[in-house]
Amino acid sequence: MTYNDETLMRRVDGELTPEAGAAIDAAAAADPALGARLDALRNLRTLAREAVPLAPDPRDRDLARMIATSGPRPSPRTPRLLDRLGAAFAPRHAPLWGGLAAASFVLGLSFNWLGAGAPERGFAVDAKGTIADAALVRVLDTRLTADGADDRGRAVGLTFRDADGRWCRTFQSADAGVAGLACREADRWRLKALAPFQPAAGDLRTASADIPVPVLAAVDAGLADDPLDAAAEARARDAGWN
Amino acid sequence: MDEFQTELVDLLPRLRRFARVLARSDADAHDLVQETVERALTKRGGFRLGTRLDSWTFTIMRRIFIDQRRSSARWARVVAPADDVTPNIPDATMAGEDLRADALAVRSALHALPDDQRLAVALVLIDGLSYAEAAQVMGVPAGTLTSRLVRGRQALIQTLAEQGVSA
Repeated sequence: MTYNDETLMRRVDGELTPEAGAAIDAAAAADPALGARLDALRNLRTLAREAVPLAPDPRDRDLARMIATSGPRPSPRTPRLLDRLGAAFAPRHAPLWGGLAAASFVLGLSFNWLGAGAPERGFAVDAKGTIADAALVRVLDTRLTADGADDRGRAVGLTFRDADGRWCRTFQSADAGVAGLACREADRWRLKALAPFQPAAGDLRTASADIPVPVLAAVDAGLADDPLDAAAEARARDAGWN
Repeated sequence: MDEFQTELVDLLPRLRRFARVLARSDADAHDLVQETVERALTKRGGFRLGTRLDSWTFTIMRRIFIDQRRSSARWARVVAPADDVTPNIPDATMAGEDLRADALAVRSALHALPDDQRLAVALVLIDGLSYAEAAQVMGVPAGTLTSRLVRGRQALIQTLAEQGVSA
């Protein structure tokens, strides 16, 4: 069998299936001319990498400084919390938030976010409130209340089903400075309530203690049954929140 | 620094290597890296979480490079191309005259490639991106990337053979 340059190139670049690659290697072992073509391609890659090595450059320090001192900017494609506030308080969400609790939430959150020199806080959600932050999604998917907080202060609190049978979980994210309630919709976690949250005494690992009042109000409004105990929570997680 | 900034700093050596394949002179390569970083910071809102920052920044650099080539092509008629007289500075870290000579020959052969082939070679051969990732950075279908890669490689092997560098 003859092999064209493209096939040999794919072999060298690891773009063939293991079976196809092994077939070429076997053929090359029996055919010196084919073996030489493969070697030439491999040598070229080595030569090219040696000619332009990955090397540290003193000028990278200045660039790193420029990157470090650049201000964080909110993302238009994954609007952050302030952008979400208007939508979150639209009438269709009103029952969950509750009147007074919602008002205090807005005040607290705005104060937090607009404070002078506030670092980048919060996490990304899409326009429908679906949580887009991969790390937070992972926490909601896999973490149990008994696990406590992870190294960035993310923890899960209560887990329950709402009146429509959807799984809901409260969470805290100390590094994002928020706590909230997310419910399972179309295999994604949809944000239902959110409030500023500071872990007690700045200890990220104690984050699972307190659920802010606005989030508790949302839980009360949505709760159809008692929150799950640890065993039921683990079963629901292992079943993939179905 | 947030995750985006940390990742961007970590990418600097790869960005610089990519730039050194695209631009002929060290100064031009540095300008390319700097402009890419500046644009990445300005446009970070356009970076989608969960996607790869390397592909995204490489795409930015590719666009800047192509734009520069277009504008420099307009000026080439009246301004002498300075790059041709800029020496390729060998890496001090490289031991051995033969290795340095080979490296110079390979760099010179790389820079003699058409832009499209050079981009494909830089992304796959040198940086090690998959064909799918490289095609995405170049904004072309996978088949186009593959044919550019084949032609670029054939040209390199031939040029180097003519210069006595055995690939």
